[in-house]
Amino acid sequence: MASREIVRYRSPLRTALQGLSILFLIFFFVWTVLPLLIMVVSSFKDLLDAFQLPEVGDFGGVGVMFDFKPTGAHYVELFTEKHFGVYLRNSLIASLGSAAVSVSLGSMAAYALSRAEFRGKRDLLFWIISTRMAPVVAVMVPLYVIFRSSGLVGTLPGLILAYTTFNLPFAIWILKGFFDNVPYAIEEAAQCDGCTRWQAFRLIIPLVAPGIGAFIVLCVLFGWNDFLFASIIGSGGAKTLPVATAELVQPVKIQWGMIMAAGVVTTVPMMFLGLLIRRYLVAGLTMGAVRE
Amino acid sequence: MAANIADIGVASEAVRGVRTIDHHPESFNHRPPRYYLLWLMLPAILLLAAISLYPLVWLIYMTLHEVQLAPGKSDVWAGIDNFSRLASDKKFARGWLTLFKYSALCLSVEIGLGVLVAVILNNNRFEKILVTIFLMPMMMAPVIAGFLYMFLYNGTFGWYFWLLQSIGLLESGSILGNKFWAMFAIVATDVWQWTPLIALITLAGLKRVPQEQLEAHMVDGAGPFRNFFSVALPNLYPFLLIAILLRFMDNFRFIDHILIMTGGGPANATKILPTYLFDVSFKFFELGRGAAIAFTLLLLTILLGLALTIVFEDPTRKLRTERED
Repeated sequence: MASREIVRYRSPLRTALQGLSILFLIFFFVWTVLPLLIMVVSSFKDLLDAFQLPEVGDFGGVGVMFDFKPTGAHYVELFTEKHFGVYLRNSLIASLGSAAVSVSLGSMAAYALSRAEFRGKRDLLFWIISTRMAPVVAVMVPLYVIFRSSGLVGTLPGLILAYTTFNLPFAIWILKGFFDNVPYAIEEAAQCDGCTRWQAFRLIIPLVAPGIGAFIVLCVLFGWNDFLFASIIGSGGAKTLPVATAELVQPVKIQWGMIMAAGVVTTVPMMFLGLLIRRYLVAGLTMGAVRE
Repeated sequence: MAANIADIGVASEAVRGVRTIDHHPESFNHRPPRYYLLWLMLPAILLLAAISLYPLVWLIYMTLHEVQLAPGKSDVWAGIDNFSRLASDKKFARGWLTLFKYSALCLSVEIGLGVLVAVILNNNRFEKILVTIFLMPMMMAPVIAGFLYMFLYNGTFGWYFWLLQSIGLLESGSILGNKFWAMFAIVATDVWQWTPLIALITLAGLKRVPQEQLEAHMVDGAGPFRNFFSVALPNLYPFLLIAILLRFMDNFRFIDHILIMTGGGPANATKILPTYLFDVSFKFFELGRGAAIAFTLLLLTILLGLALTIVFEDPTRKLRTERED
């Protein structure tokens, strides 16, 4: 490791840069957090309070944002009148189901792809990654026709299958990277000691378990946040949270209070999951190309 | 021998394994490993083929037909009509243009901001906590982000609308209903959600910039700017390349917030190609024409996929060897 004891002389340029960078950080912090804050605050406001704004140009009046009586009415209405409990369950089943299918089948395939050498392996891998990258709308056009004729539109299994189109290639691709990092010598040793190949595979699962866990969470996240598949393929019987939220927009009026509350309900669990797998997040979102 | 495996913690399997061999010694390494691995691979590959190759065949079939959704009617052969109609379809051409304009705007702002954030955050005292906070928008469903920004942009009670008015950028009217502003409003939403990802990727890259190079450069008298542009930035290129490819891909993979905020309007100002495709296929249900549009989008995806697999192999090593040549 190189020495870190570098003398940095104070110069006007350095001081100015430091000041500017602090200013920029504050700006970026506010820019990131403010919308979230407004969402949470508005979800607890009743209609009149939510529409309070200071006069144009009156920057001192920003306090209006916090000048309200908190009410949980929107949340109550969501779960009683709008049946968000059902949609929450649908979201959970669809995203968990697809994550389970993708990661269980995906980890086997990833292991095999990591250990096998055969002609056309590169082409197979390319096919897998391009499946993952295909635009959801484009995939949905033929998928909709197929699902319609087989009665899968509007059902949870259909939605699970639809989510699997992007989760399975994701799981295969990224878990292959994980298995690549486990030395084959471990399995060789196990097989010398009398394990079958399947037992040897099971043996190295604990080594990749944290990664597998993290990618189950990521698959859940992708499924949970999906809107396009859910709105077309899940429409009717398998409404998920994002679709139900979009349906709060009615021709006569948009029920902002409830939409913000639905936003909080949809977003908060995912943020916690995101924190949980913080270490794998960048790898997951860049398809394993960048590791922290 | 079994003791070795007991160390790893699965003694029982090991013992069972040994016994199996005693009973069937001829079965040891009976098959070549390739078949075994093939069987492991097969379920996933078959499932993936069923949900991606089979639809692709259907898609190609659909591009050549006039698809009828009503029961009892059968599809009509259309030859290359679906494609030839695209050639004269102005909205189709505009969709591509808008897609590229939208992506260029998103990417340039996101890369600029993201790199700036990463450089400032790198080795900052609050790096860990700030990165965690900046992560939050990425976890949000794009639909929810769309609604949130729609709320903020609202002409009567939106805080961002008020802010823009207060600093004198906007007089009145609506942001999302204005041909000029709508595009920027949507870009801002994308920037809000995804700049942190670029920052994280860049941060991971900055951690790999060789300290020795930076120090040597400083000893030679380079200032902070020179140091960034001549040492850090060249080391970052592979990371930025990945970031650009991934974000460009996502720009047309996810159109949720555009659908929510403007639906492609006003006057098609934000109708990027996937949004147009959505309208054609799932609003007008012209699935044959939709399939033809989808096909052109898939071609772009395949090109991007090729670029990505080349970069993915091992970006850092690849670029480094190229530089040394």
